Amino acid sequence: MKTVISAQVATKPSVRADDLPEHETPWQEFVRIYQKDRLALAGFFVLLALLVIAVAGKALTEWWVLFDPEVVRLPDKFFPPLSSPSPDIAASDRPLGGLYLFGTDELGRDVFARMFQGSFVSLSVGFVAVGISLLVGIVLGGFAGYYGQVKLGVMTVDTLIMRFTDAMMCFPTFFLILTAVALLPPSIYTIMFIIGLTSWMGTTRFVRAEFLALREQDYVTAAKALGLPEARIIFRHMVPNALAPVFVSATIGVATAILTESALSFLGFGVPPPYATWGNILSDGKGFIFDAPWLFFIPGLAIFIVVLAFNLVGEGLREALNPKLRRR
Amino acid sequence: MQRVILLVIVSFMAHSIIHLAPGEPSEVDPMNPRMKPEDIAKIRAAFHLDDPLYLQYGYWIRDLFTGELKSFKDSQPVLPKIWDRFLNSLPLFVVATLLVWTWAFPTGIYGAVHRGGMYDRFTIFLAYALISIPGFFLSYLVILWVAGWLGVPVISIKTFGMDQAQPVFKMMDRVWHLVIPSLMSALGGVAILSRYVRSQMLEVLGQDYVRTARAKGLEEDTVIYRHALGNALLPFVTMFGFLLPGLIGGSVIFEQIFAWPGLGRLGYEAILSRDFPVIMTLNFMAAVLTLAGTFLSDILYAVVDPRIRLQ
Amino acid sequence: MLIKRLLLLIPLVLVVFLLQSFFWVPTYENQAAGNPNRLVTYIEGSSGDAKILNPILNADSASANIVNHVFEGLLDLDEHLNLRGRLAVDWAITEQAYLLVNAHHRFPDGQEVNGTSLLQRLSQALQAGVLRDMPEMLQPLALLPASQRTEQVSLLKVDEKGKPHVVEVPVTVQVPERIVFSLKQVDQDLFERLIPVLGERYGDQFSYADWIHPQKAVAPEDEELLREKYPEILPVAEHNPTIVFHLRQGVKFHDGHIFDAGDVKFTYESIMNPKNLSPRTPDFEPIKTVEIIDPLTVKIVYKRLYSPAINAWTMGILPEHVLHAEALNREKQERGLSEAAQQTFGMRDSQFNRRPLGTGRFQFVEWQGDEYIHLRRFEDYWEEPAQYHEYFMRIIPDLLTQEVEFRTGAVDFYGALPHQVARYKEDPTYQSFSSLGFAYTYIGYNNRKPLFASREVRTALGMAINVQEITDFLIYGEGERITGPYPQNTEWYNPSIAPIPYDPEGAKALLAHMGWKMNAEGWLEKDGKVFEFTLITNNGNPIRKNILTIAQNAWKRIGVKVNTQVFEWAVFLNDFVNTGDFDAVVLGWSMGIDPDLYQIWHSSQSGPQQLNFVGYHNSKADELIVRIRQEYNRNRQRDLTHELHRVIAEDQPYTFLYAPLSTRVLDKKIVLVERDANGQEHYKKIFPIKSGDITFYFYKWRKLDHTPDF
Repeated sequence: MKTVISAQVATKPSVRADDLPEHETPWQEFVRIYQKDRLALAGFFVLLALLVIAVAGKALTEWWVLFDPEVVRLPDKFFPPLSSPSPDIAASDRPLGGLYLFGTDELGRDVFARMFQGSFVSLSVGFVAVGISLLVGIVLGGFAGYYGQVKLGVMTVDTLIMRFTDAMMCFPTFFLILTAVALLPPSIYTIMFIIGLTSWMGTTRFVRAEFLALREQDYVTAAKALGLPEARIIFRHMVPNALAPVFVSATIGVATAILTESALSFLGFGVPPPYATWGNILSDGKGFIFDAPWLFFIPGLAIFIVVLAFNLVGEGLREALNPKLRRR
Repeated sequence: MQRVILLVIVSFMAHSIIHLAPGEPSEVDPMNPRMKPEDIAKIRAAFHLDDPLYLQYGYWIRDLFTGELKSFKDSQPVLPKIWDRFLNSLPLFVVATLLVWTWAFPTGIYGAVHRGGMYDRFTIFLAYALISIPGFFLSYLVILWVAGWLGVPVISIKTFGMDQAQPVFKMMDRVWHLVIPSLMSALGGVAILSRYVRSQMLEVLGQDYVRTARAKGLEEDTVIYRHALGNALLPFVTMFGFLLPGLIGGSVIFEQIFAWPGLGRLGYEAILSRDFPVIMTLNFMAAVLTLAGTFLSDILYAVVDPRIRLQ
Repeated sequence: MLIKRLLLLIPLVLVVFLLQSFFWVPTYENQAAGNPNRLVTYIEGSSGDAKILNPILNADSASANIVNHVFEGLLDLDEHLNLRGRLAVDWAITEQAYLLVNAHHRFPDGQEVNGTSLLQRLSQALQAGVLRDMPEMLQPLALLPASQRTEQVSLLKVDEKGKPHVVEVPVTVQVPERIVFSLKQVDQDLFERLIPVLGERYGDQFSYADWIHPQKAVAPEDEELLREKYPEILPVAEHNPTIVFHLRQGVKFHDGHIFDAGDVKFTYESIMNPKNLSPRTPDFEPIKTVEIIDPLTVKIVYKRLYSPAINAWTMGILPEHVLHAEALNREKQERGLSEAAQQTFGMRDSQFNRRPLGTGRFQFVEWQGDEYIHLRRFEDYWEEPAQYHEYFMRIIPDLLTQEVEFRTGAVDFYGALPHQVARYKEDPTYQSFSSLGFAYTYIGYNNRKPLFASREVRTALGMAINVQEITDFLIYGEGERITGPYPQNTEWYNPSIAPIPYDPEGAKALLAHMGWKMNAEGWLEKDGKVFEFTLITNNGNPIRKNILTIAQNAWKRIGVKVNTQVFEWAVFLNDFVNTGDFDAVVLGWSMGIDPDLYQIWHSSQSGPQQLNFVGYHNSKADELIVRIRQEYNRNRQRDLTHELHRVIAEDQPYTFLYAPLSTRVLDKKIVLVERDANGQEHYKKIFPIKSGDITFYFYKWRKLDHTPDF
């Protein structure tokens, strides 16, 4: 039995190799491999849907207020999902469609509207945090990799940057985040920055490694020989080639940032009101688990599904972009 | 030498981050409305809060190394305090680590060997599912289930009022209280590590010498467990070093939920009450352990990989 | 393959070993059923650990909880909130008053003042009965000769960076001749009553500089500060209220040592010892001397009129024999501390604070940091010992897990939130209590800001908020509407004042009257500026956070644009409240039993770091506040507080929202156990006393093995 299975493993790659059309572009190849991974594909569609929801959420709760997450209707507190508002609620305060799709919270606010609004905030926390971490990571990693040998006084640029990276890595990340968030003025931007500024070290390390490898490649040498400006070499030729692993880690980074935000919310240091995020809806809802379980389960499941989607997409990308694994 | 310099930098960073931030030790914000400004100024002076930063740094380093650093909160020495909590956190850490390392390998290896199979896809999904659930969400579900359905205590490090029980019962009681929190904190680790094991194995299995071994007609198990596994394991040896800082970090969230009197909670509460000496010492020790960890992993790597020599 | 098998076997064995432990653990039911000790053990869940178990040092509620069980004060408050003797059997309050002979002053008839003439004129006036309403004298007037004393004066200075620090100046005080009055009762108007004899403005021309001499040269910039302190160092007319406590005989500390007057004096001295950094100093600072008359009598003399001062003696008394200077010296030697550490070693550093010893009903057993504190009943207590044998405070930081432990019966009590209490009310296994405490919640407006400067605007804002709806739904009816700054269950509260009505339309009209007009976007506007401000509160209090949202929503409906922010406590205090840099806050006060509101409402207390952070100024209120704290007669004090309440309610510097009921849930099996003359036990239902406290009779509590019927 075992031998049969392992034989399969051994033979499969060669079969695939035969199928390969000669003229396939890298992009086509990427799409073909990615599509094979059904989980990743499902994750991709979930994310696509989420993106639409988030933008719609921003638009419909803030620009054209169809769903108002801020209306307080105390008499309607803790209405379960799919219930209708009580008759003594003013017509202007009724939710769209006369239905609390996801129920109401402890102030009678519409949970659906809050989740809807929160989707945008949660996603932007994830994206901005990762954006910051990528920016810092790529710049520092790129410098260390490309100008690594330049001397600055007693040490090289590479040593300087990498020692700094090490120093940052020395702090236990979550504890560092907690310290920083607790000590800085609370705002959504603080949270984004702190999560971003405490997670760039990984990116720096492998961008540096990629750069070290790339700068020895023939095409870079050729570009240098042609006398192209350094900025052009770096940004036009090297960065795109170093991006594949960065992209994978960014996808997973967004997932981690969303989780970190919810963990911070749990400890009371999350994104402060008026912003609703899934994290703070969840941590506010946990106190009412016996009274209004939907306040706990709806944001919990939403976070779970979205983070899972990001992770699966990240995994799919990793497989599809990994040259070592793909041709077998 | 470089490491020592790094440590000094880190200690300095730890100190300035905390002191530049807003907020003051809670003892300085008196609960008693009748406190006069004169009295508050005296308390601040006793905590050296009004001295210049470099002097405060000096006091901290001096007290840290003479072992006389005192917590702002209760004036008790910091180091014994940290040591007590460390002993509480240790079993949680050990069991969680054991769970991670013993589960991740079989799962990952099997997944790699049967790449693309049902099992592999299922474990991939499960692994990602586990790291995608907010830890406290899952913990609450488990607590409610165990306490509600099984009717057995899960919270804290031991069952209350078991002082008269026999030693075996007491010991097993402690073990039981370890199970769920350590499982909760291990889940993420198992997921990540097993994915890593899987990709390492895949890498190694694709290499020429494995093909050669197979070509020689060796049994598949021998190829995998003798030839491939050994090489695939190399990078993991170095990871032992990185376990060290985990000792001091503790897990704030799980200790908070499970009422575990560990280091994470000590740190969290220190942050809330602006107990600077405790926060700084914890951060500093974490840094020391990380450095020691990287050093250890370098050594381990050199030991297992003959191609690398220590400089 | 061995390796393969091991790889599978090891995790399996590990998991099996871990999971089998499940079978050794007693279920909740077994814990309760198989253990009679559980009935005489009380376990309380607390979300925070105690910090320091010392009555003169603790400042947090968890420590206070334990300290109150372990230590005992001279007095406490009884069921009706009157003072009751504990370590003291009884006490008497009298007054010594002193009047300096001011030689620069002349009597109304132009005669110069000197010692003998002053004494003579006053004695004559007294005998003739010309002075109205003079209190009864215990002794005839006397003339004290001139004397000399030295003291330390603390000057608070602010350096150029704005940081405060303290300068100590030793001064020599020549005390001139004085007239001493021994009064049977304290009388704050004594010196006003003497005006017919002394004439107006007796003390005005007193030249302090002739009598007070700094022992070393004072820096020129400090001189002004020192001069401001002169009237405090050597008051011309001085009230010295005096309390004589008669102590209970034969009270034992937990180690068997007998309590006496020395312990009282020692406790006072420890508080005032600057090394100990005691947060209680403000309560004991008005004390001039503590004098041991005999082992069971102490006389306490106060520097000035300050009626709430007696309440400070409800604080626990420390054991001198364990903590005296020699004992502390021994401790620091044993700990092998360095020179520097030995220098600053005070009571705060002592291990005593981790294993306290007092005279209370419970004695300390063990403290496991962040896990639990264990107390056991003290069998030699001077009254009947407690019914519970063991007391535990378990630290469970998470509110949800606290509730889980409570439901399973592993914890007897926890600080349940209103929504949880509402749920237990219907549950037949539990009894729940709601009673008024001393706290209230309010929205405070920064009265200094032009936006909130007018009383009408503040009233309008208050009218827009439906407080009834807040108490009904947000806190499930567990709150009472309040109208002013006193706790409703004290006699200081003025019940005749009506709350401002909920009337959004009226609020709009009032604001329109003040010139605020609705603009096109639906916001109120005046002189081109939208009515917009930021409402803030502290993190960690879900109810305040919700009030924030409710208020924001309510004000939006009358066209006021409100932004909300929540800050972590330390940041909230330091950056906003203490600096006065805020618009409006949602906060609460937890009041004391005494009617003194000086810190919160007196206009002198509105500087940075002070508690009148809303900047309330009203000279009428200022006057009342000062009179209240100097009044020793309870009836007169009550009239004054009712007046003060009315003045503040009219000004609406806060929107007073509600006083939360303190809500508690207990298993119905926990009852009051009383024993009649025949030794027969009777069970009574637990009830809250006037202060709202249900634990007043905690020593009579016990858990029964069945649910009783009442």
